[in-house]
Amino acid sequence: MTTTTSSPAATSTAAHTESVTKVYGAGDTLVTALDNVSVSFERGKFTAIMGPSGSGKSTLMHCVAGLDTINSGRIFIGDVDLSGLNDKQLTRLRRDTIGFVFQAFNLVPTLTALENITLPMDLAGSAPDQEWLDTIIATVGLSDRLSHRPSELSGGQQQRVAVARALASQPAIIFADEPTGNLDSRSGSEILEFMRAAVDKFSQTIVMVTHDPLAASYADRVVFLADGKVVDDMQSPTTDSVIDRMKSFGA
Amino acid sequence: MLKVTLRGLMAHKVRLIATAISVLLGVAFMSGTQVLTSSVSASFDKVFSDVYASIDVVVRSTNKVETPFGSQRTRISESVVPTVTGVSGVEAAEGQVVGQIKVLDKDNKPLVTAQGPPNFGLNWLTSPSLNGWKVAEGGTAPTAPDDIVLDAKTAKDGNYVVGDTVNVSVTKGVQSFKLVGIAKFGKLDTWGGAQAALFTTPTIQALVGEPGMFDWISIAGKDGESQQQLADAVSKVIPAGTEAITGKKFTAESQDAFQKIIGIFSTFLLVFALIALFVGSFIIYNTFSIIVAQRTKELALLRALGASRSQILRSIILEAFFVGLSASIIGVGFGILLAIGLNKLMQSIGFSGPDTPIVIPPVAVVVSLLVGTFITLLSALFPARRAATVPPIAAMRDVAVDRTGASKRRVAFGVILLALGAFMLWFGLNGNSDSGLQIIGGGAFFVFIALTVIGPVIATPFASVLGWPLQKASRITGRLARENAMRNPRRTSTTASALMIGIGLVGFIAVTAQSIKVSTVDAINQSVTGQYVVTTEGFGSTALPQSLAADLNAVPGVQTAAGISGTFAKINDSSKVLLAVDPVSITQVIKFTDVEGSFTGLGIGEIAASEKLAKDKNLTIGQPISATFLQGGATTLTLTSIYKTEFPMQGPGWIIATDEFNQVVPPAQQTYSAIYVKLKDTSSAGVAAALPELQKVADTVPGAKLQNLTEYKKAQTDQVNQFLQIVYVLLALALIIAIVGVVNTLLLSVYERTRELGLLRAVGMSRRQVRSTIRLESVIISLMGTLIGLVIGIIFGWALVTALADQGITSFAIPWGQLVIIVIIAILAGVGAALYPARRAARLDVLKAISSD
Ligand SMILES: Nc1ncnc2c1ncn2[C@@H]1O[C@H](COP(=O)(O)OP(=O)(O)OP(=O)(O)O)[C@@H](O)[C@H]1O
Ligand SMILES: [Mg+2]
Repeated sequence: MTTTTSSPAATSTAAHTESVTKVYGAGDTLVTALDNVSVSFERGKFTAIMGPSGSGKSTLMHCVAGLDTINSGRIFIGDVDLSGLNDKQLTRLRRDTIGFVFQAFNLVPTLTALENITLPMDLAGSAPDQEWLDTIIATVGLSDRLSHRPSELSGGQQQRVAVARALASQPAIIFADEPTGNLDSRSGSEILEFMRAAVDKFSQTIVMVTHDPLAASYADRVVFLADGKVVDDMQSPTTDSVIDRMKSFGA
Repeated sequence: MLKVTLRGLMAHKVRLIATAISVLLGVAFMSGTQVLTSSVSASFDKVFSDVYASIDVVVRSTNKVETPFGSQRTRISESVVPTVTGVSGVEAAEGQVVGQIKVLDKDNKPLVTAQGPPNFGLNWLTSPSLNGWKVAEGGTAPTAPDDIVLDAKTAKDGNYVVGDTVNVSVTKGVQSFKLVGIAKFGKLDTWGGAQAALFTTPTIQALVGEPGMFDWISIAGKDGESQQQLADAVSKVIPAGTEAITGKKFTAESQDAFQKIIGIFSTFLLVFALIALFVGSFIIYNTFSIIVAQRTKELALLRALGASRSQILRSIILEAFFVGLSASIIGVGFGILLAIGLNKLMQSIGFSGPDTPIVIPPVAVVVSLLVGTFITLLSALFPARRAATVPPIAAMRDVAVDRTGASKRRVAFGVILLALGAFMLWFGLNGNSDSGLQIIGGGAFFVFIALTVIGPVIATPFASVLGWPLQKASRITGRLARENAMRNPRRTSTTASALMIGIGLVGFIAVTAQSIKVSTVDAINQSVTGQYVVTTEGFGSTALPQSLAADLNAVPGVQTAAGISGTFAKINDSSKVLLAVDPVSITQVIKFTDVEGSFTGLGIGEIAASEKLAKDKNLTIGQPISATFLQGGATTLTLTSIYKTEFPMQGPGWIIATDEFNQVVPPAQQTYSAIYVKLKDTSSAGVAAALPELQKVADTVPGAKLQNLTEYKKAQTDQVNQFLQIVYVLLALALIIAIVGVVNTLLLSVYERTRELGLLRAVGMSRRQVRSTIRLESVIISLMGTLIGLVIGIIFGWALVTALADQGITSFAIPWGQLVIIVIIAILAGVGAALYPARRAARLDVLKAISSD
């Protein structure tokens, strides 16, 4: 198995889904969270996922990241088919090839900022690439906060640490679920600029769920979801074009 | 608000399980042992009232000596019997002889050992109104000097049938009797499990008593007169130095004496029940603290919605009340089941009365319920107060305020408590107060509380130090475990404290026991110069006949064989154990040093005192010492020797010569409790060569045990080990509760850290790593409790040993091997305690964890 790879694989996409369907519950309470979704996320690109609340954005992200199981279809990270992996392999895949940024509670409160950043490497028992680490830390601008605990950091700083952690292990793909959802616009745009820079400078692949058209404008592409289906796909979005498109969905 | 409480209770029922278990176990143990001891006591009350049912009045001597087995009295002459028979209202009067007799089995081994039930030898009473024994069909009462009648149980145990020859071991050696009858007492096979052998009066007098003397005279009255009236009438005719008491009083005295012994036992068990509950209180405290912390938001919301502080307080207290009461009720139920089970077990090993019904004393039930409930309430009080002080604003805050444990007030309070506890310990150990034990117990309690108060302050550095090697060894999991153990010092320390108390007591007992063992062995090494020792489990008439020493002396190769006897006597008006030795021969086998006077010159009419005794009592050579012997009457002895010896079994320090002993003690009691043998050839080859001959001679006395010095020392320390084992078993309950506490804390912490664990899993922590983190945290907590506990235990042990230095415990010894084993067990227990919480943590659904709020 080649889960540790960050070198380009045969496929040109970092991750893709084939006709993925995900349902919750049964009978009366049955919800089709993802309905035959086929989507691919290109390598080195910044993709935003948008859509009304309950449209399945988080579900899609969780499924692609191997955190959740699906009812039918197939999901690939690089050329690895997730359906063939057990929990141990999935854990290893997440640790080595996927980075995460959540809306909140991203950091382990007992570890310092630096320890949080190197956490996936520590879990793997591998030494972090010091040069790369320095580059990231310099880029996030947290050099003087490295020994602080999360409780001593502001919300924006915490998110920056989270993004730094996601980047530190040079994963094949980073998933971010509303990373700026809890932040004011200034801190939010700092994070977004930082992610943008990661894509531009280091060819990082990032998939980000957001509700914010301004945030989406930082992306190379926006995938629109509604009722568990992909309803649109927009390249080089701007704030205005995204707002226009959202209006047409009545969201 | 009640609705909120009940909802809370339902919602947290899983979290309250540990609280319930710890209360339940403690209460079950408490009520169970109380019910058991009451039942045993009640059943023996019944045995005594059955046995003495036919007696209306007892005539006995007024001269008595208190012994650990109750008071013993001088025998009275048979001439009193005709005197009282003449009193009007007396239907029958007969003298009773009761002594110790060893009935042997067909291999000449005693049927019951010293640890078993008592073994009585009695005279067969001829008057049907006084004799409760009935010979079963096919047998007769004893009439000839060599006739014996056995109780049905003993006959069955020994496989004896009427006509068999039954051997009995007495002072004069083994004697054979003819079994002429098998008797039942009323409908019962046995006297409450005791062994009874019945003989004609002259026979049993010769075996265990004195010819022409009775232990007491039993009188049955004619109908129509009260026991008191009859006793008054009898009193008028009996000689001076005797008294007439009612059968009721006589029975009550026997019952009281027995209940006193049961009472000591019962108190002993109660102490362990209280220790268990004390340990349990930490778990209750922790559970409620954690629940309150986890519910901070909910509580704040309630406050914001207008709930008053007292409403919040009441709701938590009420919750504690429900849990405490229901756990106590179930605990009492379990306790009764436990008592029934143990009672069955005791009956099956023949250690209990006949078909003992279980007695459930209402007081025990009520007290157990109250104690269980009260301890729960008390332990929940502080967390409840903390809950009540949650400000409404906390509902808007994200995370509960982290309370670091290290306030100056806490340290100051802890130090004050520690000083108080230490002072009480010191005072209890060195003062001469009657309630020394209670003061020591109170002191230990305060020391434990003090350490608990200081606990949170030292928890962080402690966890940090303990966790350091773990972090080195297992990197990130060790690092996280260490941080987790440090992040909530109060929780960590309370959990560890529960363990600390149990381990502290284990360590204390282990150190004390080791010191006693080492001191005993040292003392034997320094004082005993013989190579072999003959001992016995019997005492008085069932101990070693004095002739055995002569026989051993006659064995070729033996230089000296000298015995030690013991008896109870009143010396200067207080009841004491008195030793008797032949001063010339004993100094060949045991070292005695003269401090003043001459020990070897000790003769008839003289007495010796140990140096310590002489100092304590300000004795001087030549001083007259009044001594009253049970059967030998009062005499005045002259103090002619003040001696010193390291010999460990010297009792209070009074010694007389065997020649004097034989004058004041009737022949049946002229025995040795131990005989020390010194060989001419003391080389190891010589010692080995002497064994077969010595063994042959020792084997002529049933129950005599020949040991070389190594075996003898081991036997002495084995007694300590036995006690140690009992205490360990009883302390195990407290340790189990402490481990439940560790499990509980870990589970609640895992629950609390759901989101964090989810995050860790999401970023790639494997299940194994999750488990290992929890396990290491558990090990840190367990080690912390264990190490502090051991330090405390060693200090307590040192204090006790120091205080007991003049009781012959001269060495302070730490059983390092045992302590290391305890630490290893603690680590394993920590790993074990983490099993379930770690599994829970590893099984967490990552997705649910990261999206839970
Ligand atoms: N564990 C679950 N059980 C049942 N239904 C669920 C579960 N998780 C999500 N759903 C449902 O699946 C659908 C998609 O949910 P999802 O969380 O993916 O939406 P979302 O697009 O992320 O919404 P939002 O913008 O509000 O975060 C919703 O209808 C939701 O109710
Ligand atoms: Mg969502």
